[in-house]
Amino acid sequence: MAQTDYGAELGSGPVIEAKGLGVKFAVNRRRKRSLREMFIHGTKRDPNAAGDEFWPLRDVSFEIARGECVGIVGKNGTGKSTLLKLIAGVLLPDEGEVQVRGKVAPLLELRAGFNDNLTGRENVYLVGSLHGMTEKQIDERFDEIIEFAEIQPKFIDTPVRHYSSGMKVRLGFALISQLEHPIMLVDEVLAVGDKAFKRKCYEAIERMLANQRTMVLVSHNEGDLRRFCDRGLYIRDGGLALDTDIEAALAAYNEDTKAEIAKRKKAEAAKKAKKDGTGGKDGGQAA
Amino acid sequence: MASRALAVWEHRKVVGLLVRRDLKVKYQQSILGYAWTMLEPLALTLVYFFVFGVVLNADRDMPAEAMAQGGFLLFLVAGILPWTTFGAILNEAPRAMITHSKLITTMKVPREIFPIATVGTKFVEYLLTWPVLLLFVFFLGGRPSWEGVLLWLPLAVVLQFVIGLGLTLLLSSINVLVRDVERLVRIASRILFYGSAILYPALMVLDSDQVPEWLKTAYQINPLLGIFEMHRAVWFSGFEELTPGPIALTSAVVGSLLVLVIGYWTFRRLEMSVLKEL
Repeated sequence: MAQTDYGAELGSGPVIEAKGLGVKFAVNRRRKRSLREMFIHGTKRDPNAAGDEFWPLRDVSFEIARGECVGIVGKNGTGKSTLLKLIAGVLLPDEGEVQVRGKVAPLLELRAGFNDNLTGRENVYLVGSLHGMTEKQIDERFDEIIEFAEIQPKFIDTPVRHYSSGMKVRLGFALISQLEHPIMLVDEVLAVGDKAFKRKCYEAIERMLANQRTMVLVSHNEGDLRRFCDRGLYIRDGGLALDTDIEAALAAYNEDTKAEIAKRKKAEAAKKAKKDGTGGKDGGQAA
Repeated sequence: MASRALAVWEHRKVVGLLVRRDLKVKYQQSILGYAWTMLEPLALTLVYFFVFGVVLNADRDMPAEAMAQGGFLLFLVAGILPWTTFGAILNEAPRAMITHSKLITTMKVPREIFPIATVGTKFVEYLLTWPVLLLFVFFLGGRPSWEGVLLWLPLAVVLQFVIGLGLTLLLSSINVLVRDVERLVRIASRILFYGSAILYPALMVLDSDQVPEWLKTAYQINPLLGIFEMHRAVWFSGFEELTPGPIALTSAVVGSLLVLVIGYWTFRRLEMSVLKEL
């Protein structure tokens, strides 16, 4: 049975342990059938439906030890964010299992949980409490959060719907980065905010990492990855292609990208050559 | 199953936060928030009293002594106020998961807490209808009995929220996958309102010669019929005509529990697909 386990204890073993992880998505019309299937056939799979499935991620196994910072690289749509969601426990695997020992601070969608009709202050207390902070902790850190988020005092008691999107994201980051959970999951959020705020975010993350915390980072920014991570997982076509240090993972990724670009150029050139060969008649059709 | 219930219990604080948030958002929008939410059922009650009580004489099956204990107006209010809550549950049930999609896709919590929070909010709103109900009881000369307060009231409230939670679990998960549920629910809610004998004593259907026997049975199998008869039996407990009969009583208890079991089973079954779709 596929499952996600969370234990509070912090042993000496790996903090995150994935075994044969796989997630299946239904393609086009299958969704309807899967609903019916669940009621009629139970968990047994319809053998005829095999062709309609799509596995964004399959057979992925790895272990992450405490204090490690792991970068996940790969093309768009190869399952990086899906993997992060599996670790966060907000998506359940169809195959295999993932064990996470310790609480997780998800920096996945920074505005998550903010209610537009509540004020900034109310939202900080609401979302902070949702993530397990006590009222006292929030009281103590409230000023720090607001200062970090660069929200002017006159705005903190206005409803969040009047905030700019930048303000919301800053407030979200300021709040979530205050969580003391031992595991952090970061999904390209470093790409938001202006330069000054970005620098502050970097410093906050470095401070957190210094504290023996574990981080998994999904990003396309090589600078970010090199800066924080010591290990890299390269995801290709829904599988774990490489599990090495970050430089090697990035090198492999870049090589594959280069090869792909070269292939595409070649294909384009071939197409062009063919087109030129058949003359203007073909060009007219294409237009 | 047991570990899951424990996990939900451990997250009761989150449920409390979500309920408080919803109430805050609802009542801070306008200063008269509470007055507005009460105005609708009151206006409805008056309209229905005029149409059913005065024009159509739906009160003709009310026992004469019951007329002295608050009469048809109290009969209507005692049914319409809990129905407002139940209708609101039905109305919001399909969206209970969708509105929280951002939270569900970033926070690791047992997913059941979102439907539970939706129903919890409605429970608080139901408690808030009580001052209005008591005003009616007081001014119309309603007389609560021990049987009503100690038996029918707790039974009615518990069953109403059991079936409400079951329906919310069921509808919220299915609606993520098949969005037509919302429209269907709106129609069903209408049918149930008239089918649950809120505006007339159930006896009018059960004693009628024009209604075939099988339809009478089907009518009584609707668990809501018994539940709303119980809500009114709190004020009219001595009258056999106004308390639920054996079939209605059984189907209210068994039906509500069954809906909860089916709802929870469906919710767990669809959980993986729901998470992928959100």
